[in-house]
Amino acid sequence: METTRGTSITAATGATEQAWPRLGLRVVVLAGLLAGLITVFLLSLMLGSVRIPLAEVLRILLGGQPERATWATIVLNFRLPRALTATLAGAALAVSGLQMQTLFRNPLADPFVLGISSGASLGVALVVLSVGIAASAPLLAVAGLLSNISLVLAACLGSAAVLLLVLLLARHVQSSVSLLILGIMIGYLTGAIVSLLLYFSIVERIQAYLMWTFGSFGGVTWSQMHVLAPTILIGLGLAFTLSKSLNALLLGEAYAHSMGLPVRVARFWIIVSASMLAGAVTAFCGPIAFLGIAVPHFCRNLFATSDHRVLMPAVMVMGAICAISADLIAQMPGRDTVLPLNAVMALIGAPVVLWIILRRARLYR
Amino acid sequence: MKNPIVLVMGRLLALLIVAAMLISACGETATPPTASPESGTDILPSPPAADQPAANLTEGCVQDYDPAVDYFPEKVSIDYAAGWTIDYFNNYKVVTVVNPWRDAETTFEYVLVQCGTPAPEGFVDAQVIEVPINTIATMSTTHLPHLTALDLTDALVAIDNFAFVNTPEIIDLIEAGKLAEIGSGAAVNVERVIDLEPDVVMTYGVGNPQNDAHPILLEAGLKVVLNSEYMEPSPLGRAEWLKFTATLFNVEAAAQTVFADMVAQYDELVALAQRAEQRPTVFANTPFQGTWFMPGGRSYPARLLADAGATYLWADDDTMGSQQLSFEVVFDRAVNADFWVNTGTWTSRADALAEDERFAEFAAFQSGRMYNNNARVNEHGGNDYWESGVTNPHLVLADLIAIFHPDLLPEHELYFYQQLP
Repeated sequence: METTRGTSITAATGATEQAWPRLGLRVVVLAGLLAGLITVFLLSLMLGSVRIPLAEVLRILLGGQPERATWATIVLNFRLPRALTATLAGAALAVSGLQMQTLFRNPLADPFVLGISSGASLGVALVVLSVGIAASAPLLAVAGLLSNISLVLAACLGSAAVLLLVLLLARHVQSSVSLLILGIMIGYLTGAIVSLLLYFSIVERIQAYLMWTFGSFGGVTWSQMHVLAPTILIGLGLAFTLSKSLNALLLGEAYAHSMGLPVRVARFWIIVSASMLAGAVTAFCGPIAFLGIAVPHFCRNLFATSDHRVLMPAVMVMGAICAISADLIAQMPGRDTVLPLNAVMALIGAPVVLWIILRRARLYR
Repeated sequence: MKNPIVLVMGRLLALLIVAAMLISACGETATPPTASPESGTDILPSPPAADQPAANLTEGCVQDYDPAVDYFPEKVSIDYAAGWTIDYFNNYKVVTVVNPWRDAETTFEYVLVQCGTPAPEGFVDAQVIEVPINTIATMSTTHLPHLTALDLTDALVAIDNFAFVNTPEIIDLIEAGKLAEIGSGAAVNVERVIDLEPDVVMTYGVGNPQNDAHPILLEAGLKVVLNSEYMEPSPLGRAEWLKFTATLFNVEAAAQTVFADMVAQYDELVALAQRAEQRPTVFANTPFQGTWFMPGGRSYPARLLADAGATYLWADDDTMGSQQLSFEVVFDRAVNADFWVNTGTWTSRADALAEDERFAEFAAFQSGRMYNNNARVNEHGGNDYWESGVTNPHLVLADLIAIFHPDLLPEHELYFYQQLP
């Protein structure tokens, strides 16, 4: 295959001077994806539970006065931040997933393998479920301190704590596999604490926590966007600069090392950028499943390459398209009801992952 | 994280229980209970026997059983609740819970037999319980006000969770060390309950064996009754479950009096609210991450709002539970509404703003007409609105009328509700 040849040439010529694969149709496909992204973005502004005529939406976007004043608020304060959040979150999770899959050379790795979402869940659980527990379990006296903190802050603190732990351990752990197991163990640990909290909590609180786990792009307001957008843009920028290191890592850590790549440093920054992306999204939107696994696979197949310089922009755009589309479906335009985002996402994501596994099985037979 | 083995076991258990329920349902239709023809009907009263009691026995057992005697001269009537029925016979009563949980395909039948008299034949699948019972364990705070209203707190031996209780009499019992804590739902401490030997455990079901306590308790051989008051869409219907508890203790007369008194007060308040010239518009609850759980038009909160003389903006909807609406739908309809009630866990408008600054665009937010039903929440988060409020809907209604029409109840001080500062 052309792609593998591309990377093996790269390997031969050294990590710093990687040759570009022949781009050919890929530029066209990428341009097509971009056009698709713009289309679904506009669609998500136009379609929603409240019927607003297309002309009115355009007038609002161009700064005009709509027929009803509430329509302007709906489009500008509800749909626009929602669409932007979906775009950013989709791009972030897809890139983060791509980085993790390459770093761990595991096709089933996702942005949360290092326990990022578990940390965020713990933070949220401590805040949401802490009422009523502080007295019965002195162990969690911390909860009392936390109860005034907002969900977003709690999730940020939770994922940051796990991230710090992972980074600290990453300096002492040689292989990425050990790191992977570490992440899973952290997941079990936080999961155990969350179940304890759930067990001692009241129904309304449990429901609030469960709602958070369903995931949603609709909770992000403009003031929160001031935090979310810069974090994700910095994370994405960092990810782009790491594309070449990721290409080298594709060949295995030992090989990358022999090529002159400072593996530990590269690994450190990959974890930083992937965790920033996944942590920010989880904090603001809840644990969004599947996107991080499915999109990188989808793009590798679509672009027939594993070169991260191509994949990086591709998964960004594709991730954003998937996130907005899933959100559009969850909103069920024209109906008053909304569906939980994660359910819709998994309905789309699960068949994709299945399809990839089956395809691979056929390839390697 | 769930242990997969536990999960699989749970599913197996669920399957078994569903299967058992199906079989029992079939059994019910196959063998209808045989009722003695001369009993139970008011149309053909049997001639009073010589020792016909004037009141139900609330203590002890019948010494000399006489099949011709009606041992339950005091009966309850069910006028508002739709979730249970009762049929009286001479020495036993059959209570059926017809709507134990949402979309339930099973009913629960309890044969309450007067102690000292023989149990009737033919009730293969029903639980047979001797009444009056002397001890009870409850698994929801909503059951506690029944016991205080009927003066039965002495019979209480255990409750599910100490932390969430608001009823003062029960708190006294807890502090005196007279109650045991047995845990809630499927996590109920079965050994502890068996050890306590309550005559009856009163619980509720949601139809999921992974959450419900009754499958495990039944398996342990305990007498378990399901109280499904939460399924009642009308406030008086919910409160009427007081009578359900009363039938276990043979205190029908007291329950009839207490409830009739409440209905009178409730109806008086409804009539008062009808006199209001304006019916202000109102919406309820809060969104979470963009999804707004709005009470359905035929739900319990919707009924209270209508009875209090308000125009609930989702009154045209015909769901009994709540609907999952998108934030923009609610915004579109409720942005100019006069009142906003039942605002989750907020205690101030600043709480609302901290969660989402878009709430500030609602007229009710700007005018400060936001009222939450959390004025009586204990330090652990247990809300008395869901405890004594359920059994005392007239108190809740008075609060709401005072909120919407302060001129109608000028002297009223809010009890369950508070205005968000």
